[in-house]
Amino acid sequence: MFELFFYGIVLGSIIALGSIGLSLIYGILRFANFAHGDLMTAGAYLALFFVTQLFEWLGIPDNTIGSLSFGIRMIITFPIVMIIISLLSIIIDQILYDPLRMKKSSPVILAMASLGVSFIIQMMVIIIWGSDSLFYKPGILRPAMELPLNIKIRPDQIFIILVVFFSISSLHLFLKYTRMGKAMRATSDNPELAKVTGIQTRNIIRLTWAIGGAMAALGGILYGIDVQLHPGMGWGFLLPLFAAAILGGIGNMYGAMIGGLVLGVVQQLSTSFLLPTYKPAIAFIIMILILIVRPQGIFGGRTLWK
Amino acid sequence: MEIEGLISYLVSLIILSGIYAIFSLGLNIQWGYTGLFNIGIAGFFCIGAYTSALITSPMPSGIYAQYVNQVFGLGLPFIFGILGAAIVCGLIALLIGIPTLKLKEDYLAISTIGIAETIRLIFNNERWLANGPRGLMGLSQPLSHLVEPKHYNYIYLFIVLLFLLIIYLSIERAIRSPWGRVLRAIREDEIATAMSGKNILSFKMQSLVLGSMIMGIGGALYAHYTKSISPDVFTPLYGTFIVWVMLMVGGSGNNKGAVLGAFVVWAIWIGTSFATELLPTTLKAKAPYIRFLLIGILLEIVLLYRPQGLLGEEKKISRFIE
Amino acid sequence: MILLELIELTSGYGKTDILNNFSLTLNKEEILSIIGPNGAGKSTLLKTIFGLLIPKKGTIRFQEEEVTGLSPDKMVRKGMGYVPQTENVFPSLTVQENLEMGAFIKKEINQNKLDEIYALFPILIPKRKEKVGRLSGGMRQMVAMGRALMLDPKVLLLDEPTASLAPLLVGMIFEKIVEINKNGVALIIVEQNAKETLRISHRGCVMAMGRKIFEDKGLAILNNKEIGRLYLGG
Repeated sequence: MFELFFYGIVLGSIIALGSIGLSLIYGILRFANFAHGDLMTAGAYLALFFVTQLFEWLGIPDNTIGSLSFGIRMIITFPIVMIIISLLSIIIDQILYDPLRMKKSSPVILAMASLGVSFIIQMMVIIIWGSDSLFYKPGILRPAMELPLNIKIRPDQIFIILVVFFSISSLHLFLKYTRMGKAMRATSDNPELAKVTGIQTRNIIRLTWAIGGAMAALGGILYGIDVQLHPGMGWGFLLPLFAAAILGGIGNMYGAMIGGLVLGVVQQLSTSFLLPTYKPAIAFIIMILILIVRPQGIFGGRTLWK
Repeated sequence: MEIEGLISYLVSLIILSGIYAIFSLGLNIQWGYTGLFNIGIAGFFCIGAYTSALITSPMPSGIYAQYVNQVFGLGLPFIFGILGAAIVCGLIALLIGIPTLKLKEDYLAISTIGIAETIRLIFNNERWLANGPRGLMGLSQPLSHLVEPKHYNYIYLFIVLLFLLIIYLSIERAIRSPWGRVLRAIREDEIATAMSGKNILSFKMQSLVLGSMIMGIGGALYAHYTKSISPDVFTPLYGTFIVWVMLMVGGSGNNKGAVLGAFVVWAIWIGTSFATELLPTTLKAKAPYIRFLLIGILLEIVLLYRPQGLLGEEKKISRFIE
Repeated sequence: MILLELIELTSGYGKTDILNNFSLTLNKEEILSIIGPNGAGKSTLLKTIFGLLIPKKGTIRFQEEEVTGLSPDKMVRKGMGYVPQTENVFPSLTVQENLEMGAFIKKEINQNKLDEIYALFPILIPKRKEKVGRLSGGMRQMVAMGRALMLDPKVLLLDEPTASLAPLLVGMIFEKIVEINKNGVALIIVEQNAKETLRISHRGCVMAMGRKIFEDKGLAILNNKEIGRLYLGG
């Protein structure tokens, strides 16, 4: 039982990375980004390219670090892929969502456009890499360490938890103490007033996409390290991401983080009596329950009623 | 291709376009007229297909029973399958609508995704329900005793077009009635409509249920055309996304647009399969994905440059005004 | 010396014109009140001046420079401040952070300026680290005005600063407005509380149906029985 709980935290921290980005984007841009899960997919597969192809070709050594399942290649890949996906997110906004916003399109049209982006990314992934499941390091043994309480945990998973903790803390510090961070929070609160104050919303929007994209990419890579890569992985994250964001109160970053952890744990615990493939259904049920019982989420965010 | 082969190919093209046109019409009631963002079409597609399949197939017996599991099998005629599909879909829509219709559009959307995914997961994993991933085969085809198998599709074409026509005309009538105008008013300005005393929730629910029932009929028609169904038919891509593209391309808020969009997009879909024949072999295996990529890009282009679609929204609002 | 000139402004939303051929001048360090019935276009006037709405016709000159149609963030840089009637603070940010946002375009935080604002609104000092959403209406209004003052604007546009405030606070806000004006800031105040605002204004302007009906010194309008009967509720 403890093992499931612990693994739930690992999974939950990956979900948290995605749902924080999703919540940020919803808070500042006011639309539901249905392509967010696929930003995770894009990050994971791009990392695959770097780790297994580009760096191979460049001759960078592949030795694993300590008892982790990856080495220098992956370490360098993290920041590179995060930056690329950040840029990609900004570009997608520039060519697609921004023109639609200029035309005063409704949030539904924007959401529909993001649905299109989601499928476009999935198709491109399948075209380039095929639809089978892939691994960063196929065939590697992943020895587990034993902890008290009979918990078996892989060193990779400790790495994941540390990385997520570090990134979320950095984001928190950024939002709380830096000028741009405060401007982001202000824009999320009241975009009209932000304009009145002289904050250039265009830059805030780009920053939002950059952060959201980077965190999604990070989450995708970590998931790929822990489990596997397959083209539908992002879409499979969509329900947990939304459920987590809604649970925490949409627009509320800290809520999204807690929501992610809760989702992860509950989904894992559910595998003790349900097939693992039902995890998205569990996420869905949680989401519906929250929407019925306390739609503003645990910590309150934007209201969901019209 | 000899003439007969070409004609039979065209017939199957029209049958599928017609079935998708029915989905599109159902979606048009929900989205085009009432503004409900339903991304769970695949779920109703699935339920409609399976309900009809289970109603019209007998329970497996003999050796068959060892390989096929069904929760029930009534062996009733086709028309009951269609009715059952519509009713069950309507009920499910009612259940979904109760918690979600009060919410903002985006939340309705994600809920519909969840429903569709859950439905597909259930059908895939619960073997006792409808044979799990293997699905159901050998579904009955109405009036199949009238002609030889190789000419059967002409009959089915007639059946599909008949349903399409009936549904189209019924919706056209309903939309021009006072009921239809309220739907439109809700989409344009919900608050104002509420102020004039209309029970918004009730109208939205009616729109959701009606649209879903139509989608259920489409699902049933699909099942009896292809004669076999399995959960992987009802994916977000084939079951939901493509219908949205059809409606947006044709013109949402316009029934003619919904039908036109279905035929146009299906034609593009089939057309691109010819184009991909020209691809080098390495890419040929990826052909369906390349085609879907193009469909996705088509949607984005429509949203950016012609969001009203080919036909735009209908101007006529009442059968009393010319 | 003329600070702000509005020449035959016409603006509105969509096809409707709310502001009709409206002209006005504002002098340096002057308090000018805009009063009139609801729907007269008073808020629209402020939004047009500040660039939230682009006028269909007419010109706006600020400090001898043509600024018609410039976006708000440019107006802020030119020395204009604006406090909307509602939703005029960032509720999840603290008092301090709200003020800092006021000076956002200056990358560095000017501690002197902050001290000045706190000196103007000392009641906010103990609430510095509190989220503004939790404060009372009166304090929120002070934060809103403080925020707009962070950049030393030459003109401050206030849209109904005392709306929904208790009577005791109304008096206090007007006191603060006078103090702000003494520090060299010209103000255009749109107000429902016509009597109170005219009392402290150098000049006043009565608006109805998007047009200027009457203009005179503040006290003159206040004592004008005709205007009083028609527009100030007797």
